[in-house]
Amino acid sequence: MIIETLEVIFLFLTAFMIAYLVRHYVFTLTVLRRNKKVRGKVTVDAKYEPTVSILIPARDEEKVIGRLLQRMTKLTYPHNKLQVLTIDDASSDSTRQIAEEYSKRHPFIEVLHRDKKTGGKGKASAMNSGLARSTGEIVLCFDADYYPQRDIVEKLVKEFNDPVVGAVQGRPVVLNEAKNVVTRLVTLERIGGYRIDQEARDNLGLIPQFGGTVGGFRRSILEKLGGFDESMLTEDTDLTFQVYLAGFKVRYVGDAECYEEAVDNWKAYWRQRHRWARGHMQVCFKHTPRVLRSKKLNAKEKIDGLLLLHVYFMPVLTLVSFFVGVTLILFGSSQLVNAFWFFVPVSFYSLVGNFAPFFEIGIGAYLDGRTRIQWLIPLLLFVYSYNILICTKALLDLFVAKMLRKSQSDWAKTQHRGNGNSYIGN
Amino acid sequence: MKFKSNRLVTGLFLEAIGLCLMLSFIFINIAATATLLIFNLFFLSLIIQLNGTLNIKLGILTLGNITGLFWNVVLHHFAIAGVTFFGEPFNVFYAVSYPFLNFMWVVSFWSMSLAVLPKPKSMKAEVKT
Repeated sequence: MIIETLEVIFLFLTAFMIAYLVRHYVFTLTVLRRNKKVRGKVTVDAKYEPTVSILIPARDEEKVIGRLLQRMTKLTYPHNKLQVLTIDDASSDSTRQIAEEYSKRHPFIEVLHRDKKTGGKGKASAMNSGLARSTGEIVLCFDADYYPQRDIVEKLVKEFNDPVVGAVQGRPVVLNEAKNVVTRLVTLERIGGYRIDQEARDNLGLIPQFGGTVGGFRRSILEKLGGFDESMLTEDTDLTFQVYLAGFKVRYVGDAECYEEAVDNWKAYWRQRHRWARGHMQVCFKHTPRVLRSKKLNAKEKIDGLLLLHVYFMPVLTLVSFFVGVTLILFGSSQLVNAFWFFVPVSFYSLVGNFAPFFEIGIGAYLDGRTRIQWLIPLLLFVYSYNILICTKALLDLFVAKMLRKSQSDWAKTQHRGNGNSYIGN
Repeated sequence: MKFKSNRLVTGLFLEAIGLCLMLSFIFINIAATATLLIFNLFFLSLIIQLNGTLNIKLGILTLGNITGLFWNVVLHHFAIAGVTFFGEPFNVFYAVSYPFLNFMWVVSFWSMSLAVLPKPKSMKAEVKT
């Protein structure tokens, strides 16, 4: 009886893995087909020029904030329609002074200072105070360590021409890729996630995800939704679903590239992914029933939405299926279990943020013209194993916090050291 | 003449791939054949669409099948030797680790194949990545 129950559990878990594998196989095929058909640059419609507010939440970002604000002064979007708002969230370093220097020299750059009393309550809280001060019809967000293309605003904003579009997402590209093996592996993750995954979800009319930076919202929708949910650790994923549940769409603009400074050591990687995993799981608990009940989402969007919501549970489920599978093999399992056991290792060669398997990442890196980085794909086995620990810890922490009724939001931010500065060519 | 020789090479590659599949089924086990088939499926549906001539890609695919066959022969003999030395418990260890060990060559060969194919036109980058 126990063996039969374990067999059912094992088959159920592997069925989940197969669903994700099929989904990503379809994504890879979709992008490959589209890549054959569409070549060349996307033209930017110069006629549509709404007012735009760019929010830059910053807490102790003195090493990178100057680089971003300098870039803001070079944006090609008309400066009289632009408001750049640096939200200094109770920084203890010189972030505020650097931002104010830029503000003095450029009237479209403003600084919103939050002191220790009002600030330090997390990114979502900082964004909400920025939103209250902003004036643009479109609200874009950039993290302080980012370095956008000069025409990124035009590329992102043009999508809002379509009234059904509530949010847009551009593409983050790792700036310090060449630094070490961690930054290279993060690059592979980003490639899998954006070059294939987001692109395919956009093409197939599924749910491209707003990633919290290099993207933005139509102000009216953001206000209607009540701004950023401060109780969420990943307010970006939360907003993605809120936008869809309100009947609007998120568009992904792959050619709107923005360069980011990736984490460059395993400890920072753990901190960042732990926050993402915990936040994503929070959003999953919040939105799964709403997605199932929603009348604004079609069947395709519901399936994709559910798979997206549960993606950070997959490493935990893989671990469970591994142990259940080993138990079954030890006690003499059926042929069916043996056949399904084959799918477990494939999952170990996948990414965590989107559960993209090795074949998807490889094709993404190839389409990006990154041939050397391909050699690192076999190392995904170790990255995935590391992420199993991260996600399991995140799930346990979430349960403990829920039981103790502890607040989920804080500024568990990544420390940016300005290592990407040396890679910038201008 | 060139067209004919190209077709001949294509035919040879396809025959070699078919032979690898048959040998794996006859001399190793069905799991080895299944791994080769999965590799071929991914390769034929995804990599075949990328840059490079058909024969280059089929050549890589053939090499992949030969590598997979060789890898599985080694694993098969490893299993026989393991059972001889450690007895039946080794079978359990082998059953658990077999797909993991097998996917090592699949993933490694997959990434290597992509690395040797002609590059697509690279995008204009504003930074020195």
